[in-house]
Amino acid sequence: MADTTRHILGSYDAALSALQNDLLMMASLCELNLRNSLGCLLNRDEELCNVTIADDEEIDQLEKQVDKSGIDLLRRFQPVASDLRHVVAAMKLSGNLERIADQAVNIARKARKLNRSALLPEVNFLDPMYREVTGMLSDVLRAYTENNVDLAIGIPARDKTLDAMNHEITENLTVQMTKFPERITEYLDLIFIARHLERAGDHVKNIAEDVVYAIAAEDIRHMGAQRPGSAADLLGDKADNGDAWKTGDSLPS
Amino acid sequence: MDRTQDTLLKPLAPSAAPATPEPAPPLRKAFDVTDLNVWYGPKYAVQGVTLGIPERTITAIIGPSGCGKSTFLRCLNRMHELVPKSRMTGSILFFGEDLYAPKIDPAVIRRRIGMVFQKSNPFPTMSIAENVTVGLRLNGIRNRSFLQDRMEQSLRMAALWEEVKDDLSKPGVSLSGGQQQRLCIARAIATQPEVLLMDEPASALDPIATMKVEELIQQLSRDYTIVIVTHNMQQASRVSHKTAFFYLGKLVEFNDTDQLFTRPREKQTEDYISGRFG
Repeated sequence: MADTTRHILGSYDAALSALQNDLLMMASLCELNLRNSLGCLLNRDEELCNVTIADDEEIDQLEKQVDKSGIDLLRRFQPVASDLRHVVAAMKLSGNLERIADQAVNIARKARKLNRSALLPEVNFLDPMYREVTGMLSDVLRAYTENNVDLAIGIPARDKTLDAMNHEITENLTVQMTKFPERITEYLDLIFIARHLERAGDHVKNIAEDVVYAIAAEDIRHMGAQRPGSAADLLGDKADNGDAWKTGDSLPS
Repeated sequence: MDRTQDTLLKPLAPSAAPATPEPAPPLRKAFDVTDLNVWYGPKYAVQGVTLGIPERTITAIIGPSGCGKSTFLRCLNRMHELVPKSRMTGSILFFGEDLYAPKIDPAVIRRRIGMVFQKSNPFPTMSIAENVTVGLRLNGIRNRSFLQDRMEQSLRMAALWEEVKDDLSKPGVSLSGGQQQRLCIARAIATQPEVLLMDEPASALDPIATMKVEELIQQLSRDYTIVIVTHNMQQASRVSHKTAFFYLGKLVEFNDTDQLFTRPREKQTEDYISGRFG
């Protein structure tokens, strides 16, 4: 059989490749912005805050570019099977990446404001959350580029950890507010930053779910306790029901 | 139409009452094909195909040219027997009855299992009305009011009545290509078959005529089992409930259409439908 790694239509491969490249560019900028927003706060770097806020524009434009490329691809080539799943996933990923970048901008704005006041030692409370959410984003993007279902499936559980961290930080900062009521505004800003990180984690989880669908054609959203913990669990759900499909015994309802 | 009481030998009986849809019974297999092999001389055209086609659904058969899909379709109403040097092994049950049993009359089979071809083929010397009723008249039905009723009913079901009701005496070939194809569908359903086999029924039509035929196919599936061979994968995806992918004479995959076009089980299916070979 002929080489089946490529489509007969070279322009189809080129369009898929361009879509993926735009998405990866957007993802890397988004990852950079999220990391920079941490630097804004921990390094008290106002210039970095401004850069992070300004760079969001490029991510917004890339979101529009990915959506346009996706729609063009659907119109021109009517993709099916894994191609269809990847195009749809790319368009959904771009929306979530854009919102993660928005969270980075929100953090940078709060950081710029906080940096104009005296240093709050409690900013370090946020460091573990930052590490977790940037690690999650990095891993989900690796899962996407390497077709690694296991890595993507593990993300939702990490999002729960992130939620718990947010809860704990909020409680700790609330205690600090009672001790140092003169800095209540700054503590509130830190609580908001934790909240932004938690929201970024929600978007990373959405991306992970879309990545699993793109790679394995399984929808793991809204499964609660039934959510698979690994690719092996997922394959277990796909257990073949003998040859019923071949003989039509599995009839449509 | 009570299919449970039908037998393949039952003669066609005129019915004055228009067919009305019955409440949907549980789906049965209209065709149960087991280890079907077909040769045309030395050419091994269909190789060990086993599948079941559910009643009152639209089943699409896709695959590249020469994959055996049209041969398979023709086996379902024994039309392949018309090709010299053709040979077949395996079994095809039609609602549980052996389609190839010695007592079975192929002419009766073809009345119960109608066929629509790629190129519309109305009889050139016949009017629109005569084209629709020719099958009934060949079966000895002469009752004019019955023929008139069935003609109108068939043209309505084929979504052609409104367009031709004032021109029924005009030649069938005076219609446009899309209308001619719907006329052929009206002719096929006039004898009230249980199954319609369609061999690329819209491949020679323009996009609007194609949409009308596709809409018609979907409406007919409420009452008929439809098996459609098509090269157009978007068409298979749009109109069918189940899709079979054939390659080099073999059945590669048979699955619910939405599954086959979003998450095919077989890599060969994925590669073909996504345009990586063919």
